[in-house]
Amino acid sequence: MSFLNLSLGELLGLAGAISAGVVALYLLDRSRRKQVVSTLRFWTDADVRTQLQHRRKIQQPWSLLLEIISLLLLLLAIAGPRLGVIDSTGRDHVLILDTSAWMGSLGTRTQNGRQMTLFDEARDAARAYLKSLPRRDRVMLVRADALATPATAFESDFGVVEEAIRRSQPGWSALNLEQALEFAQRAQRLQSQRAGEIVFAGAARVPEEQAELADLPSNLRVLLSGAPQENVGLRKIGLRRSPAAPDAWDIYVAVHNYGAKPHDVDLELQFGQSFVGARRLQLKPGADQQETFSYRAAGRGYLEARLNVHDAFPQDDRALIEVPGEASLHAVIYSKEPQMLRALFASNPQLEAAFQDPAQYDPAVKAQMVVLDRFAPPKPPQADSIWIQPPASGSPIPVRETKPNLHLAGWNDGTPLGAGLRAQDVVFESAEVFTPATGDMVAAESSAGPLVVARENKQDKLVVLGFQPGAPSMKYQLATPLLIANILKWMAPEMFRSREVQAGTVGLVRVPAGEDADTSAIRVMDENQRPLPFTIGGGRLQFFSGAPGAVSVLSGDRESVYSLTLPDVADAVWRPPAGVRRGVPKAAEMETSPPEIWPWLAALGGLGLLLDWLLYGRGRLYRLRTPSQMRRAA
Amino acid sequence: MVEPLIDTEMLEKLERLTIHWQKSQRGLVGGHQASRFAGAGQEFLDHRNFTQGDDLRAINWRAYLRLEKLFLKMFQLEPRIPVRILLDISDSMAVGGGNPKQLSKFEYARKLAAALCYVGLVRLDAIYLQPFSSKLHESLVASGGRHRFQRAVNFLTDLKPGGSTDYMSTARNFLARFPQPGLLLVISDFLDDQDCEKPLQFLADFGHELILLHIWSEEDREPPWEGELELEDAETGERVELAFDAEARARYTAEFDEHAKRLERVALRNNGRYVGLPTTVAIERAVFGPLVQSEALQ
Repeated sequence: MSFLNLSLGELLGLAGAISAGVVALYLLDRSRRKQVVSTLRFWTDADVRTQLQHRRKIQQPWSLLLEIISLLLLLLAIAGPRLGVIDSTGRDHVLILDTSAWMGSLGTRTQNGRQMTLFDEARDAARAYLKSLPRRDRVMLVRADALATPATAFESDFGVVEEAIRRSQPGWSALNLEQALEFAQRAQRLQSQRAGEIVFAGAARVPEEQAELADLPSNLRVLLSGAPQENVGLRKIGLRRSPAAPDAWDIYVAVHNYGAKPHDVDLELQFGQSFVGARRLQLKPGADQQETFSYRAAGRGYLEARLNVHDAFPQDDRALIEVPGEASLHAVIYSKEPQMLRALFASNPQLEAAFQDPAQYDPAVKAQMVVLDRFAPPKPPQADSIWIQPPASGSPIPVRETKPNLHLAGWNDGTPLGAGLRAQDVVFESAEVFTPATGDMVAAESSAGPLVVARENKQDKLVVLGFQPGAPSMKYQLATPLLIANILKWMAPEMFRSREVQAGTVGLVRVPAGEDADTSAIRVMDENQRPLPFTIGGGRLQFFSGAPGAVSVLSGDRESVYSLTLPDVADAVWRPPAGVRRGVPKAAEMETSPPEIWPWLAALGGLGLLLDWLLYGRGRLYRLRTPSQMRRAA
Repeated sequence: MVEPLIDTEMLEKLERLTIHWQKSQRGLVGGHQASRFAGAGQEFLDHRNFTQGDDLRAINWRAYLRLEKLFLKMFQLEPRIPVRILLDISDSMAVGGGNPKQLSKFEYARKLAAALCYVGLVRLDAIYLQPFSSKLHESLVASGGRHRFQRAVNFLTDLKPGGSTDYMSTARNFLARFPQPGLLLVISDFLDDQDCEKPLQFLADFGHELILLHIWSEEDREPPWEGELELEDAETGERVELAFDAEARARYTAEFDEHAKRLERVALRNNGRYVGLPTTVAIERAVFGPLVQSEALQ
């Protein structure tokens, strides 16, 4: 048995002093009292005269004993004895602080005239919980949004935990409560000496599938903050080049009503300072609505979408995405017969072609691509180049022979240059046959040898064509523009990629990828061009971004840019079941010491005093009456 | 500032009351209650035959002319009855009243006497205030209307408790001093070591109509103490040690109540009235309650 406040010696000393006091009071209570009365006749008549021979003798020893025992029991109760040994090791609690995006919304409480956010409320609740814990306990703080991130280890210094709470801020992603609870359970299982409580502090706004969580930990306690608030927000914005006009963008915007009431909101789009469009949306509770806009923009700039609504969560009422400009490839074509090539090169809007006479050749010309038509310069160009029937003396790839009436044998469909080319019955009036080196790519072959060869050097790329594509034999072939397009795409793939820009919410992003998508041909990169991990399954590509930023998904000639700048707000609110403990506990409630017996001792002591009064002291109550009571009694 | 015995508000209320007696007494004209004795009143009562010595002025001469016999007219007598108040000022009356909110029996008796005196003065009665302990002390006759009340108040205020109670001596002296019977109000705690019933009976036997106003304090009837007590008689100084408990208290109270009943029996037996007044009952409530109910006042 242990006494919380007193040692056994101190307790016995105190008990002795109190017992002595009780005996003294007892004797004083029963000492003779002098009193002047009007007459003695009734005292005598009532036969109460009793000469006291032994007035110092204890008159009611059982009463005295009962009083002493009762007071000792009360004294023991005050000492707070406990059965068993006090555990001084403490317990390990996991405090999950909701740092999801929704926690940044405004709550209903105010502090110092400022409206508090839900996160402020959760932070206060977490601090209050810390204060209720015994000092010997340890606490691990876990910040929970889409990921559960431990902010501290199991820490006995609550100052460290409080500092971590202070440093915590609402994130951008939605809460994954299931994962956070699993993490907390695992942490208690693996790292704690003696598991305490798992405490969740936050608004518990979760995805729909987590609204009815099963298998909750038995030691869960929730400190819910904030009442459900009305919110309408942007969920997604997408931009895609219009298939109808190359300089136009198709814009679609998705807006969601997270609240329980219908809302009418105004959606407005701006590109730079110019107005793009505006719509009035009527949103039903929990409903999504998509709106499509079209806008013609040649240059790059910023598209801003704004909802004119005042709700509790303004972070998702505005989104800004960068619209890329239209890139173009600058090419210089040296030819004595530019009319033969003009149709092939000038028709592409992404290609700025400048035709010059071979006499004007400059090896350092400022161009991204140089076309040499039947012309061999003394010094090769420093940019990527296309050589058309180069003279054998100046060809970068050796010319084996030049043959008339050469028959096209076929296209090498497996190469980037020959992909998709089907023309077969072509006879060239005159064509060169090359001798490719190892590593060169042969796109077309004749019966005599390679007709189209491509080489990729460290600095540049070059393609040699053994025939003139503008010559009558190829002029009307469908393969001719396709071959030029393949060459341009191979030389400057970034120029010809199809681009798509989307603004979405932070967190897990799912992109359609096709059933047979080749993972080796797909790259996912953040805005610093660092690769991000991704998975492909079920025809969808998934990657995760925990912070706002832009992520590019490159797949062949497609590039999708995801501007993840919208906070992810979950749709549902988790309602803890009835059995789950709620609220900040009282300090005494968190004590896990051995069972206390002071209530029993106090009850026994009180019962003893009551018995003493009933058996011996009831008659003395008269003394306690007030004069008014006495008058009433009369 | 000395608190007046009776405040103005209560005096106004007392104006409505009259001291009431039941016995028919002979006396001088001028009272306010009819007597069964015929006398020099204003209202005709009856005729009777003339006897020698009757007042010739009361003969009905018209009846004599018609019947040639002498008849005497008798009139209703409303005699002025002497009202006497015997006020106990012995030491026992000063016991109690330790509580500042509760009057001592002496204070209570003085106030009660003053109230009765005022009621009498308003009706032009003559009030004899006679303090006593073991003997009769100096008395005061208050008469002549309400404007003489201040004298009575001064007299009562100057009274001091002292001495032991001796009812037998008091009764003897009283009868010697006031041979004419009248209304006698005795304000006392009636705590005499000797029996006080016999002296009261003497007073009644001499024709006095008794109204016994028995005053007691709470501790007189039900002592609040318990345990070992050393008691001292306030009048005799006699001491006694005893152990007192609830059972003894019950016996004590029963004895006290029996004593009060005996007093009541004496009063009723002699066509008088008995009113028990604990000091916890306010004077005003006592006057308009028990005193009016007993018809000592109307």
